[in-house]
Amino acid sequence: MRTLFNFLIQYSVVFLFLLLEIISFTLIVNNQGYQKSVFLSSSNRVAAEMYEISNTVVEFFKLRAANENLSEENTAFKNQLIILQNKLNTLTKNTVRDTIHFRIPPEMEYQFISAKVINNSTNKLQNYITLNKGIVDGIKVDMGVISDEGVVGIIKTVSNRFSVVIPVLNPKILINCKFVRNNYIGTLVWDGNDYRFANLTDIARHVEFKLGDSLVTSGFTNTFPAGIPVGTIEDFNIKESDAYYKIKVKLAVNFRTLSHVKVIDYLNYKEQRYLEKASEN
Amino acid sequence: MLILLQNIIRFVALVLLQVLALNNIQFLGFLNPYIYILFIFSLPVKLPRWFTLILGFVLGLSIDMFSNTLGIHAFASVLIAFIRQGVIGLFTSIEEGSNPTPSFYTFGVGSYIKYVVVLVFIHHFTLFILEAFTFNHLGMTLLKALLNSFVTILIILGIQSFRKK
Repeated sequence: MRTLFNFLIQYSVVFLFLLLEIISFTLIVNNQGYQKSVFLSSSNRVAAEMYEISNTVVEFFKLRAANENLSEENTAFKNQLIILQNKLNTLTKNTVRDTIHFRIPPEMEYQFISAKVINNSTNKLQNYITLNKGIVDGIKVDMGVISDEGVVGIIKTVSNRFSVVIPVLNPKILINCKFVRNNYIGTLVWDGNDYRFANLTDIARHVEFKLGDSLVTSGFTNTFPAGIPVGTIEDFNIKESDAYYKIKVKLAVNFRTLSHVKVIDYLNYKEQRYLEKASEN
Repeated sequence: MLILLQNIIRFVALVLLQVLALNNIQFLGFLNPYIYILFIFSLPVKLPRWFTLILGFVLGLSIDMFSNTLGIHAFASVLIAFIRQGVIGLFTSIEEGSNPTPSFYTFGVGSYIKYVVVLVFIHHFTLFILEAFTFNHLGMTLLKALLNSFVTILIILGIQSFRKK
């Protein structure tokens, strides 16, 4: 007993050392949970107040940088405000004009489903766009897709939550469009070269037009209502022997920066198709 | 009495310097010297070992509270508080009956440098390995410990060289 006692006294320091190290190590291991550590961490009052005091001192030296940051941010916001105001102005004008075009009787013939572009290509020969809306959102095959700038394309396939669009930038679709100036109708085809331009065909020799003339959708197909911008005439030529013009059209939509689109739901689609088929037979 | 007061002031000053100034340095992203252990280095040589251990624990825990690293500094501090006596015995011979405070004057320049270097290295390597808490990235951890040890040693020796006897 006496030896044991002596032993304990002799090595008491070692025991204390081990005890303290075990406590420390337990603290390290248990420190994973946030709540456990609140008492002994910088969120306790003493430490927090110390930091508060030190912050008031340090903050003073950071004021200049903070000021600069704020003014930079301010300018950025002001610029954004101006851009947004401009957009709003143009959009209000557009909406007034558009509603006249869209309001083909019977009213509410067209509805729009807004969607976001989640995949897009412009550099291939056959480009496709993927949207984040699908069957559950009411999207069906053959619906037209437009953006705020103009015609984008036609829905090709739909899954439950996604849909794939054949955009104008795909030789597989032909968009029926007309001149705003005189209502002559032509067909728009993409040649696979440049995502900014497409070709207009079927415009006969006698048609009068100028560079910069606007093209809009004709409204003769079931997918697009009439009057949605398609593009403007960039360039044209015609040979002596040709009956039709070769016209280069600058597309209204910038497909590179496309992000939000509207899918057109033509409510009378079924009835119209049914009627047309019936008369064909 | 004077030594007690001196040590209390040293404790508070070093903890504040560490948590308010040095912990914010993060020079080059990882240089963060820990000079608070100078308190343990400067405790009187003949201080009872159990008391040194407890002081080391309290010191480490104070640093931990401020830097949200519960237990890491406490562990490393207690470790060097424990081996301090042995290291002092290794490098110096203290006269019987005297109780000096470690410094360049009492230990001699060479011995004091060795004393500081050994303890700082042990403290920092323990600290950084515990901080990483894994043996992955061991090379990076050791490099960090090495570089930080050099900076800490330089600062501690710098502070000590300004002190009068």
